[in-house]
Amino acid sequence: MGYHTAHWENTTMTDWGMILSIGLIQNMFYATILASVLCGIIGTYVVVKRIVFVSGGIAHATFGGVGFAYYAQSVLLVSWFDPMLGAMVFAVGAALIIGSPRISKRLREDSTIGVLWVVGMALGVLFISLTDHSAVLVRSYESILFGNVLLVSTQDLQFMMVMIVAVLALVAFFYRDLQIVTFDEIHARITGINVTFMNTLLYVLVALTCVFVMNVVGIVLVIALLTIPAAMASMFSNDLRQIMLLAIVSSLVLSLLGLVFAIEFNIPPGASIVLTIAAFFLISLGVKSLNDRGYLS
Amino acid sequence: MIENPPIEIQNLTAGYGHSVVLEDVTMNLEHNDFLAIIGPNGGGKTTLLKAILGIIPPKSGSIKIFGKSVEEGLKHIGYVPQKGNFDNRFPITVYDVVLMGTRGGKGYRPRYSAEQRQKAVEAMEKVGIADFASTTLSELSGGQLQRALLARAMAGEPDILLLDEPTASLDPQMKDCIYDSLKRVNDQVSILIVTHDIGVVSSQVKRIACLNRKVIVHDEPLITPDMMQLGYHCPVELLAHGIPHRTLGEHDHD
Repeated sequence: MGYHTAHWENTTMTDWGMILSIGLIQNMFYATILASVLCGIIGTYVVVKRIVFVSGGIAHATFGGVGFAYYAQSVLLVSWFDPMLGAMVFAVGAALIIGSPRISKRLREDSTIGVLWVVGMALGVLFISLTDHSAVLVRSYESILFGNVLLVSTQDLQFMMVMIVAVLALVAFFYRDLQIVTFDEIHARITGINVTFMNTLLYVLVALTCVFVMNVVGIVLVIALLTIPAAMASMFSNDLRQIMLLAIVSSLVLSLLGLVFAIEFNIPPGASIVLTIAAFFLISLGVKSLNDRGYLS
Repeated sequence: MIENPPIEIQNLTAGYGHSVVLEDVTMNLEHNDFLAIIGPNGGGKTTLLKAILGIIPPKSGSIKIFGKSVEEGLKHIGYVPQKGNFDNRFPITVYDVVLMGTRGGKGYRPRYSAEQRQKAVEAMEKVGIADFASTTLSELSGGQLQRALLARAMAGEPDILLLDEPTASLDPQMKDCIYDSLKRVNDQVSILIVTHDIGVVSSQVKRIACLNRKVIVHDEPLITPDMMQLGYHCPVELLAHGIPHRTLGEHDHD
């Protein structure tokens, strides 16, 4: 619980100059910025394609990967297999399973997701209980599930940056076909797009996003960053690119604000970020509804 | 040179699971054809379209598009769905939807070319939807949406147009407008429309087929008594009142 032991806890006035000079705090801000960019873009697809539940399944499956990584590091002595890598293997695995036509032929998509969701969680619990806790430092369930940005290392950040460049490049390259597939799969098929490939690609992008964003807000709250900014943006724009941009900006501003609240009031950063975003979501819902009824114009 | 017909269906049996919806259907769509398939709800019209589009595989028999497999032939087809297989609230403009129609072939090209944009504009003009180019899809009426989807199908300059209930939500003037635009492209495109509304089958079509598990094709735009028998299991006299008199031909029993 990094935020409990934070040493600014006892000061009456928050000394921001001092806080911002701490490396880990800086990392926390950088991680939040990167997560916002990623969630603004991928979250837009998640919202317009209505695959929030897919993202939920993938995000929760990562818990199994985190647990497995601890087990691998401590018992199997595979020291390079760190929790982020474990999370990535499980998330991408879940994405590939959900996208597989062999499975969707036999099972309804949401059933598949439900199974992956709980099996991922259960495997996480199992592996963590099998882990030799004297050999590795295992993060608490709370920190894995609800996040602890104070644990983002510089190495994590570098890894995140490389992956974000890759994700952005993929989205830029496939933008047009992603638009067609997310809009109308049957038309996409007729025009020669490999729909299975594009859907799987989108799920993998969601999976990678979940893994990175997990570092900031934790597994459970990933859905918030993926969903709320994009849903909020889509109330005010009807253009996919504009929605992405709006989602990035609102996610950026609101999660940084959430971080500031977290430090100022000494509350867990993950929860603080999510609640800040959610509060503005409610406000914008209200503004939108007043506007639609003509009160504001 | 004898070319393969745009669509050649031979002894097609298709359905879902163990149920058979289409049985031994043999029919062709010819060059510059304008074929209307009528039939009751549940008669297999949608299943036939799904089979042609390769969405469901045939149980037996074959479908060829210009002599090639469905998979290879799909690129020749422009498809106008009844309502659209999409979320009407998807954030997209009419122009962007129509542009999608120009993405033919394989490969991943990240941008639309000037030529593709030109085709999209022309297609919107053809169906009279150009004024709505920058309108969001969710703000369109049913008729406008249907014309936008028609423009999308036409923008790809297909050799075959498949239309599922193309005029279902249109008022009479708009129906005529759609049929006029179809007629205008008919010298380059073979057209297959599917409808359960016999009244809609206008004087514009060249041939009529009736589909109710099995198919009867007539090489003239006439609804024959045995089509009525197959399609609706009603005495023809009862239905004749609803059909313009000239479309009911005497049928030769040979």
